[in-house]
Amino acid sequence: MKKSKTFKIQERRIYRYVGCGLVAPYIIYTIIFWVYPFIWGLIISFKKWNIISPEKEFIGISNFLKVIHDPLFWISFKNTLFFMIVYVPMVIICSLVVALLLRRIKFLQAFFASGYLMSYVSAGVAYSIVFNLLFSGDGLINVWLSNLGITIPWFSSPKIAMASIAIIVVWKYLGYYSLIFLAGLQSIPTSLYESAEIDGVSNWTQFWRITVPLLNPAFMIILIFAVMLSFNIFTEPYMITGGGPLDSTQTFVMQIYHQTFTALHAGYGSSFAIVVAIISFSFVFVIRKMVERDISY
Amino acid sequence: MIIQNMFNKKQSELSGLVITYAFLGFGLIFMVFPYVWMLLASFKIPAEIYNRFLPTQFTLEHYRMLFSLGATGSTNPFVRSIFNSLVVSSIATISVVFFGAITGYALARIVFPGRTLLNNFILFQMLFPTVLFLIPRFLLMLELGWINTFQGMFSPFMISAWAIFLFTQFFKTVPQELIDAARLDGCSELKIVFKIMLPLSKSVTIIVAIFTFMGMWDEFLWYLIVTKDYNLMPLSVLLGLFTRGEYSSYPGIQTAGATLLTLPILVLFFVFRKFFTEGISMTGLKG
Repeated sequence: MKKSKTFKIQERRIYRYVGCGLVAPYIIYTIIFWVYPFIWGLIISFKKWNIISPEKEFIGISNFLKVIHDPLFWISFKNTLFFMIVYVPMVIICSLVVALLLRRIKFLQAFFASGYLMSYVSAGVAYSIVFNLLFSGDGLINVWLSNLGITIPWFSSPKIAMASIAIIVVWKYLGYYSLIFLAGLQSIPTSLYESAEIDGVSNWTQFWRITVPLLNPAFMIILIFAVMLSFNIFTEPYMITGGGPLDSTQTFVMQIYHQTFTALHAGYGSSFAIVVAIISFSFVFVIRKMVERDISY
Repeated sequence: MIIQNMFNKKQSELSGLVITYAFLGFGLIFMVFPYVWMLLASFKIPAEIYNRFLPTQFTLEHYRMLFSLGATGSTNPFVRSIFNSLVVSSIATISVVFFGAITGYALARIVFPGRTLLNNFILFQMLFPTVLFLIPRFLLMLELGWINTFQGMFSPFMISAWAIFLFTQFFKTVPQELIDAARLDGCSELKIVFKIMLPLSKSVTIIVAIFTFMGMWDEFLWYLIVTKDYNLMPLSVLLGLFTRGEYSSYPGIQTAGATLLTLPILVLFFVFRKFFTEGISMTGLKG
């Protein structure tokens, strides 16, 4: 008895070393590629530096003040909000409808689910190319629309270019979000609907009183994904509009890219990125506070 | 009377089902349409790309052009770029699975000092947007001299907090008896991870691998920043740059390139579609 106990203790000590050994690569890697860049990013955001010259002048918070006074920062902010206002409701309504439809069927459910998910696996560059051509002034969509006597300047009108980008991003993520909704729907016990049915509750009331509240975790996760995505759009405007027309599709990441890698203002770009991260964190925080509910059934 | 009611109910249920399928099918056409158009356009003659959906004649000209047009200083950057994409994506995928598994195993099954702290740190890490790391990581690559190298492209993606998190969650469910028995047999801990834990968590392993591979294959911004040499560029960046540059007025070549970029992932998707849907439902339930 005593012997096995000392053996156990000794064994536990060995596994402590083994455990540390197994996580060591992760720790070392994280220090080099995560912690170190993180701190460096903070430091250079207080400096004026153009990457090439060895001179790094400490300028306090002037980079941050410059960000706040940069008209392109506010244009990007406005464009991001516009994107969100179009994207978030549209993608949530569409994917919820698809999920509700998918839940009703058994036969071919997996077929439809993967069919809708197909768009999710398209590469950013590839689908940007495709939609740029499809939605171009004389593209197929406008050729078809012209039969109805209308043409839409999807990417060439500054008023709607950002909305058009939002629409193609909806195309990409609709299937992905519907599957999250579907998983949420399937976790709602059917007994709730059955007892509501017996009590003569209408489908409409069931939807608002049972489905929507119990889908709260799915709504939460999709909202957070969608908001984070809105702050990170780059490939689509870079490929399709290049930020135009009239800066209507400039985004935060495009600005960061431009400031750092074209204009070589690394310090300024870094402060820009930090401000953007803080804004996106605040958005996520506010959404969590507003939407998140504890559910129990 | 009751039978009549039941019959009516059955009938309305049936018509409801028909409507459901009709809507789903109609929506599916919209979802698949861009793919079909892309594939068809890549074989169309230029005059038919914009204004006809179905082609009257097929041509392989765009693919031929894509593979033969040489950029400055190289004869065939597109063939090379496919190879580059494959190398970079594969290395990152193997690394993410390997380190994800061993770290996840330690975090799930071994008691060691700092374990809870690390578990929390991994969750904390996932909250940070990549945009925050773009510039300092680029500077790190400059410092290491890794601009325009393969390691420059994949090094920031070699260990993923998300993968570690998934592995940790799944490894918690493996019965302790199996681990104890393997240890009694003299198995090393690494052997336990790769001979017992991974085979028992096949679906998570596949999910981590395919999502990582897809993410690396599609990655654009990071490659755009760290590669300057056409011969080293992955397909996504090379196609992106050529579409904005030399090929901007050649929609046929653009769609041929887009098809090339899409096809491998699409094949992966069709082979592993069950794991794609499973992986997404998992993120949804994680809450």
